[in-house]
Amino acid sequence: MGILVTKERFCTQTSGRPVGTMHTTVDSNPLRRALDHAAHLLPVQGPIGVFIHHNTLHAFQHERFESAVVKAAGVFAAEPFMTEAAYRRDFARGRIQQADVDWVLAREPNAEVIAGRLDRQTLRRAMIDPRMLALDALSVSYLLDETCHFTGTPESLALWRACQRGMDQPAAKRHTASRPREGVLWSGGPDLDTFIHPLLIRLCAVYTDQGMAYWPMPGREKSFYGSVRDLLAQPAVLYLSQLRGLDDEFKKQRSSGLTSEDVVRQMSIRLGVPEGDWQSFLEAELLALPGWPGLMRLLERDPGLATHIHLPCSLMDFVAVRLTFTAVALVNTAGNTTAWRKVTAETESAAALRRLEAARMFEAAKAAAVTASDLERLDDAAFARWRSEVFDFSEIERRRVWHLSYERRHELLILGPLGHYRQSNPPRRNTKPPVAQVFFCIDEREESIRRALEECDPEMDTFGAAGFFGVAIDYQGIDDAHAVSLCPVVVKPQHAVRERARPGEEAALDSRVTRRKQWSAVVHGLSVGSKNLLTGWVTTAFLGFLSLVPLLARVLSPLQFARLRAALNERFFPDPRTELAFMRGDVDSYHATEGLAKGFDTDEKSARVAGLLCGAGLTSRFSDLVIVLGHGSTSLNNPHESAHDCGACGGRRGGPNGRLFAAMANRPEVRDALRATKGIDIPARTWFVGGYHDTCSDDVDLYDTDLVPAHNLDLLNRIRKSLDRARALSAHERARRFEAAESAHSAEDGLLHVEERSEHLAEPRPEYGHCTNAVAVVGRRAVTRGLFMDRRAFLISYDAAGDPEDKFIAGVLGAVIPVCAGISLEYYFSFVDNERYGCGTKLPHNVTGLLGVMNGHAGDLRTGLPWQMVEIHEPVRILFVIETTPERLMKVIGRNPELTEFVENSWVRISTMDPDSGEIQIYRGGGLFEPASPADAVIPRAASSVDWYRGKLEHLPLAEIARAV
Amino acid sequence: MIDWTTERQLLTALVALPGLGFFGLALGWLLGWTPTEKTVARFSASVSLLDWAMTAALAGLMFRSGEAQVTVRFGDWFHVGSYAFPLELMVDRLSLPLILLAITLAGLIGVFSRRYLHRDRGFHRFYVLIHLFTFGAILVYAAGSFDLLIGGWELVGITSVLLVSFFYERPDPVHSALRVFAVYRICDLGLLWAVYLLHHRFESSVYSKVLAGGVAAPAICFLLIWAAAGKSAQIPFSGWLPRAMEGPTPSSAIFYGAISVHLGAYLMLRCQPLLASSPSAAWVLIVLGLATAMHGTMVGRVCADAKTSLAYASLVQLGLIFAEAGMGWNTFAIIHIVGHGATRTLQFLRAPSMLHDHHQMHDAAGGQLGNYGAYWESLLPGGFRTWLYRLALDRGHHDTLLDRLAVAPSLALGRLLGRTSPEGPSA
Repeated sequence: MGILVTKERFCTQTSGRPVGTMHTTVDSNPLRRALDHAAHLLPVQGPIGVFIHHNTLHAFQHERFESAVVKAAGVFAAEPFMTEAAYRRDFARGRIQQADVDWVLAREPNAEVIAGRLDRQTLRRAMIDPRMLALDALSVSYLLDETCHFTGTPESLALWRACQRGMDQPAAKRHTASRPREGVLWSGGPDLDTFIHPLLIRLCAVYTDQGMAYWPMPGREKSFYGSVRDLLAQPAVLYLSQLRGLDDEFKKQRSSGLTSEDVVRQMSIRLGVPEGDWQSFLEAELLALPGWPGLMRLLERDPGLATHIHLPCSLMDFVAVRLTFTAVALVNTAGNTTAWRKVTAETESAAALRRLEAARMFEAAKAAAVTASDLERLDDAAFARWRSEVFDFSEIERRRVWHLSYERRHELLILGPLGHYRQSNPPRRNTKPPVAQVFFCIDEREESIRRALEECDPEMDTFGAAGFFGVAIDYQGIDDAHAVSLCPVVVKPQHAVRERARPGEEAALDSRVTRRKQWSAVVHGLSVGSKNLLTGWVTTAFLGFLSLVPLLARVLSPLQFARLRAALNERFFPDPRTELAFMRGDVDSYHATEGLAKGFDTDEKSARVAGLLCGAGLTSRFSDLVIVLGHGSTSLNNPHESAHDCGACGGRRGGPNGRLFAAMANRPEVRDALRATKGIDIPARTWFVGGYHDTCSDDVDLYDTDLVPAHNLDLLNRIRKSLDRARALSAHERARRFEAAESAHSAEDGLLHVEERSEHLAEPRPEYGHCTNAVAVVGRRAVTRGLFMDRRAFLISYDAAGDPEDKFIAGVLGAVIPVCAGISLEYYFSFVDNERYGCGTKLPHNVTGLLGVMNGHAGDLRTGLPWQMVEIHEPVRILFVIETTPERLMKVIGRNPELTEFVENSWVRISTMDPDSGEIQIYRGGGLFEPASPADAVIPRAASSVDWYRGKLEHLPLAEIARAV
Repeated sequence: MIDWTTERQLLTALVALPGLGFFGLALGWLLGWTPTEKTVARFSASVSLLDWAMTAALAGLMFRSGEAQVTVRFGDWFHVGSYAFPLELMVDRLSLPLILLAITLAGLIGVFSRRYLHRDRGFHRFYVLIHLFTFGAILVYAAGSFDLLIGGWELVGITSVLLVSFFYERPDPVHSALRVFAVYRICDLGLLWAVYLLHHRFESSVYSKVLAGGVAAPAICFLLIWAAAGKSAQIPFSGWLPRAMEGPTPSSAIFYGAISVHLGAYLMLRCQPLLASSPSAAWVLIVLGLATAMHGTMVGRVCADAKTSLAYASLVQLGLIFAEAGMGWNTFAIIHIVGHGATRTLQFLRAPSMLHDHHQMHDAAGGQLGNYGAYWESLLPGGFRTWLYRLALDRGHHDTLLDRLAVAPSLALGRLLGRTSPEGPSA
């Protein structure tokens, strides 16, 4: 139970501010406080088996986006935006236009730079010009020493001289060592990290291991520090010469009975770090290897995050071990433990720096048509102003302006056509119900299949709702070993739901369970056995050649092999018909699920059903069949598989949620309650069917179709056919992004292609995931229906007309903004700096401890997204379009501190679309909305989606698809 | 003149083809040819397929005619006085199955990597290296003399190093590659010295002369064992094997699961007649192999990451194969090499699935996975067990030993020599 309680506390923390600042009690112990603050900078990514997208810079979210990314870039030595070269390329291909840059510059405070001659806006416009030379110290020396660039003509020579003015003071910057490694390195010693890290990483890996090694670390149930100390204090052990004496050090610590906190305190004294510097020192030490301590930190707060084995992790333990290593290494390499504090280093040579500054000023002057005489005429104060104006518009600043221009163009490309389309196609209020209604997750990856479904069968309506469909459950299916939470991570499920065999099917279930156990024993036996001495000898020498069969089949013909496997599975594992045990009062369904209500009672059920339907604006005009599709993703050889699953289901697959929602909505007592208390009248003919959509293989599965009443069967067949066609079309549309899919001519080819992708061992991009996310539309489908949105828009169904008190929008935005922002920002940061914020290329990744990936045999735990997942991303902050009025929106946002932070600090872009007039207004901060002008917007038309995207690889603008309306 | 029978033509062609593939790709690359990924992959697949067909045909012909071996003698590489270095290719029942395995797996890796390395900057480079590697490996197997074997041996070594440092933008792969390179070079000295001594003793290094039942000095055998131990990561050189996991997964699979690490074992099998003449060397080989197997299984037990645990699993079987070679169980050792290569390649290629697979097994088992192979170590007394764990965690301290006993003294010597150099001490 202790774990569950912790989890709850943890959840409330992550939903709010940076983890840690939410501590209700401030620790009075200065060391612990310092560590706690330092720990904010560590990555917050749990075991990779359940991947939750979150803002990589969560710790900086209380600041404005533009300044936070720059500040974080300093702390993490990372990139805040794309490179200037990348923006220039986008400028060259027209993705950014001069008008966008001018628009951004015009909105920033202007000032005189040279009185009567030049203002800031003009200067910046000139300096950001892609023809400006990108200078660094090396290129300046080259230009000076090898060319006449600065001195070629009398004018440029004069200008070059003028730019030298006031440059005679030395500008050298000296840095003091922030941690021992720097001190030793700068004084010509070895790199301490190269011999501390391998051992430290190995210790972290075996400590947190969830079952990869079958000889677990002895004593790890005690604590990290305790077990490491016992292990490293072993006698008769050889150490690298730089770590000699580590055993004696740990022995000493053990005999004095120190706790890890005592050790850290003692070590900081020994390393000569005064109390005031503790935090910055600990930050520097932690950020040298952030992945592992980040994981320790998370597991310390919520041991339940570990998939199999719960361990008493503690960041203090980690720091104690790390500092002990450091102190010993310092003694061996530098001879003492405090001298490093006094080592300083010059970052760049003073002379080179001065030349670089002069060169930059020279280029700026040339670009802004400032002449030597203009500069000579300035008095010292005016020259200093000119100079600081030039240096203020540094590379980072230019990239900031570039980025805002990049987003400005995106805004125009989306809001213009969207507003235009809304004006020319005002939503009609139908009275006749559609043929069928299909719920999908809000996920932008579902946009294509929704559009395809509407194209195949224009009489169907689709809806988007967060993929857990309002049912937060603790779920265990018949094939699962444990129950898991199927709901957003910030919610803690209160209700247990179990899948069980239907009456009469128990025997089949039993035999399934038994056979699966046997299968598991064989597979596990072989995989472990092949690594052992004697069993390995037998299996590899006598049976090894049999591996050639799956090896050849999987590589040469993955799809056929997968089908064969599926057929064998079907043949050997009986598939009992099942049902969900979710009814309160149903004694049989009560399994031992402590702390959870078993299932839902009628009130709870009707509240869940009403919540979803009202939020989506579906309270009347019910079709005979309503389909509710959860989603997930299956792929092979992909440690980041879970990152493609449903975020609203906590990084898991949402099939059970759809199934459960349908089962609830079909209960007569629920419908009675809905009619009585909510005024929602679901006709008796209407039947709900749950299902599951695999976004990788584009498979669609419908559940419990044998229960569908006879009068709906024809319709069910029609829906099935349409869904089949739609998934093929959607697969074909996805295939256009994969260069490998050039041969997918027909929709069926596309489907085969994506099916093969999900079964291919060699495929590092089974799907592109959220890679294209950019927009979120909260409103009626009618405002976007018929628009090709290129799988780039989260679509959340909401009808302002049915929500006069803004009750539902509060709930919808409270869930949707953090989730979509988390996805958008994680992609943003993993893209702009894939090595620091992301986890680099997937190709050398090595799964460790069943918890994460590292590079090679002893690397840091890599967090964030791999390059293959983000490579085609356009890093923009997500643009929300919400169908409501600015006043109503700001009231809702003002009431929720978390949303206020996202919106006011510009981590998301927000706009509204008036539900009546369709006018779009975009939020510019400080309570100010500004109309987006669709006047000059044109929207291309295409007969079908295929016609619009065929043969194109890149992101496509919005288009009107004739067939889907 | 050479009597060009079909077999001889096939043998020559199958050795030359991957080499030509390498030259084609590499020369084109140097001349600025930038083919599409598709072209490179198709080219590579055709080379593999053709090579495979030729090897299979050669095997078929040899099987039908019952010939035990096929030899092609291209004359002499060079003469020194009356002394000649002949160039000779030879396949027999020992090398043919291994050539077939190498070509099959290399071709498979080629197909696999087309997907895996799609859009990677090093795509072309990878294929260039894989061709060079295949050529090197086949040359080792098909060499008719130790001189030629060294050529293939070195090609495999250098491609291995270049693929470990495939992601050279990061420092770790480069450090690891340097380590692998150093171990290879030091152990290759064993091979060079052994061949030097062979020339002295038999006045040739052609197998037919050397292995024809002459009695070798134990020193030659020990040098050959030294060389083989480096290539096959036997103790105390095992430390390079986990470090080599920095490269892309398919190259880890073919080098350290399948082909490259087995070359040492092949050398031992090839030298069987020499070993048979020297019981002490055979014993050393058996003890070395068994000790490596014990070391591998002990270290493997504590490895918490997929690739390292597979590296040590390979090590266990490599040790056993060495012991088999020492016992003279040649046929069995070949079967073992083929089975082990296939198993490990599949496991390496599936390594990124470890999480997925474990999850499935765990669920199917109802949350209770059995402890296979568990805990012979639990029979040991507690204190000793912890000490042993510590030893296993540090991989038997082999790297530390090498660093302290070999690297540090060499560096010290280097510094000393630097001090006495005519230019005076360098800063």
